[in-house]
Amino acid sequence: MRVAMSTIFNNIQNNLQNLASDLQRINASISSGHKYQRISDNPVDVGAILGLTTEESQTVQYDRNLETAKGWLSVTLSALQDITDIVRASTGLANQMATGTYNAAQRQAAAQQIQGYLEEIMQVGNTKFGGQHILAGFKTDSPPFVEGGWDIQPPVMHLQSGSTGTAVAAGAYTGDTSRTYLVEVVTGGGAGVGTYRVSVDGGQSWTTPAVIPAGVAALGDGVQVTMGGTWVAGDRFSISVYRPIEYQGDTHNLEISVGSQSRLVVNEIGSDAVGGDLGSNDIFQILAQLKSSLEANDPAGAGASLERLRSFESHITSILAGLGASLDRVGLKENIYGTLKDELTRQISDRGDTDLVAAANLLKAKETAYQAALLSSSKVMGMSLMDYL
Amino acid sequence: MSGISNILQIASQALLAEQLGVEVTGHNIANVDTPGFSRQKVNYITATPVVSPAGPVGRGVEVLGIERAFDPFITARLNEKNSLLADYRTRSAALEQVAAFFNETQSGGINDLLSQFFASWHDLADNPAGAGERQALLQKALTLCDAFNSRANQLVQERQSLLQQIGPTLEEINEHTAAIAQLTREIIETESDGHAANDLRDQRQLELSRLSELIGVQTYTTGDGTVSVALSNGRPLVQGIMSFDLTYQVNPADQVEVVWQGPGGTTEILDTSSLSGGKLTALVQTRDEIIPTYQQELDQLAQDFIIAINNQHTQGVGLTLFSQNKGTYQVTDPATPLGTSLPLGSEIVAGSFQIFVDRDGAPLASGTIAIDPSLSLNDVVTNINTHPVLGGLLTASVEDNSLKIVSNLASDTFGFAGDDSHVLTALGTNTFFTGDKAYTLDVNVWVLENPDQVAAGQIDATGAHAVGDNRNALALAELEDAPVGPDGLTFGDAYQRLIMTLGLEAQDAGNQETFYQGLVEQLTNMRDAVSGVSLDEELTNLVKFQRAYQAAARLVSVADELYQTLLAMRK
Repeated sequence: MRVAMSTIFNNIQNNLQNLASDLQRINASISSGHKYQRISDNPVDVGAILGLTTEESQTVQYDRNLETAKGWLSVTLSALQDITDIVRASTGLANQMATGTYNAAQRQAAAQQIQGYLEEIMQVGNTKFGGQHILAGFKTDSPPFVEGGWDIQPPVMHLQSGSTGTAVAAGAYTGDTSRTYLVEVVTGGGAGVGTYRVSVDGGQSWTTPAVIPAGVAALGDGVQVTMGGTWVAGDRFSISVYRPIEYQGDTHNLEISVGSQSRLVVNEIGSDAVGGDLGSNDIFQILAQLKSSLEANDPAGAGASLERLRSFESHITSILAGLGASLDRVGLKENIYGTLKDELTRQISDRGDTDLVAAANLLKAKETAYQAALLSSSKVMGMSLMDYL
Repeated sequence: MSGISNILQIASQALLAEQLGVEVTGHNIANVDTPGFSRQKVNYITATPVVSPAGPVGRGVEVLGIERAFDPFITARLNEKNSLLADYRTRSAALEQVAAFFNETQSGGINDLLSQFFASWHDLADNPAGAGERQALLQKALTLCDAFNSRANQLVQERQSLLQQIGPTLEEINEHTAAIAQLTREIIETESDGHAANDLRDQRQLELSRLSELIGVQTYTTGDGTVSVALSNGRPLVQGIMSFDLTYQVNPADQVEVVWQGPGGTTEILDTSSLSGGKLTALVQTRDEIIPTYQQELDQLAQDFIIAINNQHTQGVGLTLFSQNKGTYQVTDPATPLGTSLPLGSEIVAGSFQIFVDRDGAPLASGTIAIDPSLSLNDVVTNINTHPVLGGLLTASVEDNSLKIVSNLASDTFGFAGDDSHVLTALGTNTFFTGDKAYTLDVNVWVLENPDQVAAGQIDATGAHAVGDNRNALALAELEDAPVGPDGLTFGDAYQRLIMTLGLEAQDAGNQETFYQGLVEQLTNMRDAVSGVSLDEELTNLVKFQRAYQAAARLVSVADELYQTLLAMRK
């Protein structure tokens, strides 16, 4: 084959260009750390890397969500544990006071203690996490448990046999502390005949006996009672006045996304878990009634409250167990996501990051080829018949 | 007649012939780098001998002509492959340009931004009342919108820049066809004496090569030195000494039309799909077929995205309700059915939505508005205003061809829920995004200015709504994994498919370019093996002709000596 001048020089140029472009590509992959600089370098791998990156970013986000979930669950768990501790203390106290060995003064003191417990439970129930009330459902911006207005409770009756006495509480309380009015019939008989006396310290001190009126009898601070029927001497009833604690939240469960199509409930509804809804497991009502019984120096009433406290204890224990299970689930998911994240990072790196050793070897090989090409080219270019003519 | 004068005659012809040889060699050496040049050589033959008693006596050398070394078949194949190479080179360059806009191998691509956008919804779901989370979400949404806008804009600009190259390319084509016709005329004139016009033919061949790089053509050479150049659909560009121009126009559908200016003022719009090979084909097809495909895909993705996000967003409420609300989409005519007068009107199905009204922040009343795609905006306004409950509390109106709802009392606010008709999405009421394609995608200005209106929560059937409610944010975050569009892909998958298709197409064009590059190099080498100038060969020839010239000159001096001897004999 004839070899023309242009053939020689074109070949030299094309080959050097090809080698230079290879060198440039390898150099770019080493200096950037990325195997591919453009999507057309390897569209299939680039597409796969994009998919993996999306998955990785989701995994990171779910992991973040788990942190939030863990925060909510832990704070809820610890608040409910605190409440459980207080309830246990109340149970212990109720247990003591239900026996007959304590006197009115001691029961008054116990009532004060219960009041303290009540307030503490309310405070714990209003715990905030990240500025949000955790037991309020979706109404995280306001405390779920608030004290209502003064409320005069229906009388708790302790009648002697044969008594047909009835009492209806009424009036509007004007005082500023919660108290229990203990009323004792001194002389039997109906309105206009029988007499009664009132105590506000569980029977330690009494008012002067007065005749049962036909209409309302004022017990003090606006509290009134209407006594009907025929009373027997020794009949007792008590009327408590306190501010019941009410639940202000809603009943929505807060869910956090912890995986694709997977949500986890991270809150407890205050009215379900603690109370304030006057339901069977309303700890505020249970304690308020216990307190009233103690103020009325009523061991039997305290005994009834004891049963309800024990039932509440098992109720909240099952909730705590549920929270613990959720926390376990969070921990498990965290482990899974940790492993997944490592695996995804490894796969992304496998596909997209430059293998430095291989690239450096390739660079060396290309460099040698380039130098060889330069050497042979310069030899070929320098040859001419002219040098010999 | 033989004799000494014959010797002189032979010598003088030989001198002239060898001198011509040196001249042609010089011409070859001088044109060693001239593109399209075919090396030439002198055709020598022995002169007709004279009859003598001793038999025919040679009369030396004669020059028959100067011939160029040219292989028409290799050159034709070279032109054809060059045409395809130019096509793929242009296509590859344009596609690489487009692929660069979507270069997801670097950080900050749309894929990344999509993930971040949905992650922000997760963050908001984790803390629905958080002002920081709301701001972060809006910023991510804005960045995502910008990314979509700029990609769409770049695609438009790439089409524009391709269009700008079409005019000059056509001018170049017309110049080459005119030059071919002109050179043909000159060749016919020059060759009338029977000798080949080598250099003119080389020039015309070069023009043909250049032309075939610009547009795929078929060439027919006739015996009389003329050449016909025709497009692949048979329309001639050069016929003998006539050439026909190509021009272009852009039709109302924004498609380039190449117009053939035939003889006698006839014109014909060429079917662009019938073009094959050459830069022009690549420019037209990339502009009007390839890039629009990606524009459509990107627009579809953006629209699916807007609809999906807004369909969910309109179900929810923010931390505060509206005292007034104005839709972001305009109807073409408030009296025509919504289904056809709104950009996203086709989304509307028969159904209803609810409006809840609060007074001083507490639930007051609610009502359901029935929707059908055949309703006009005026009908919807009337239905709200005459609603037995809502009518007295809210006033709906048509403002700037959009739906506007205002509460009658300053103490009243309102929110939306339970829209299964998608009419709120189509009207742009209580939406997160505005726009209907990649270029117009944007965050609703109202939401942007009132981050509290990002609808993370929902209204209960009782009308209650609370700041800790994350139901809508959760549903929005979960859209990341939800299938959208006819193929049931997620947004991420759909975008990744777009990237992969684009990457594969760019890669394919690049591979074809490399392939044809190799082919063209090989054919060029084959052509040069025939036509190329080798300096060493020419130098050898130069020495050869020089020696022959010297020998011929020597012949003259020998003949002279013979005369001298002859003349000396008479003294």
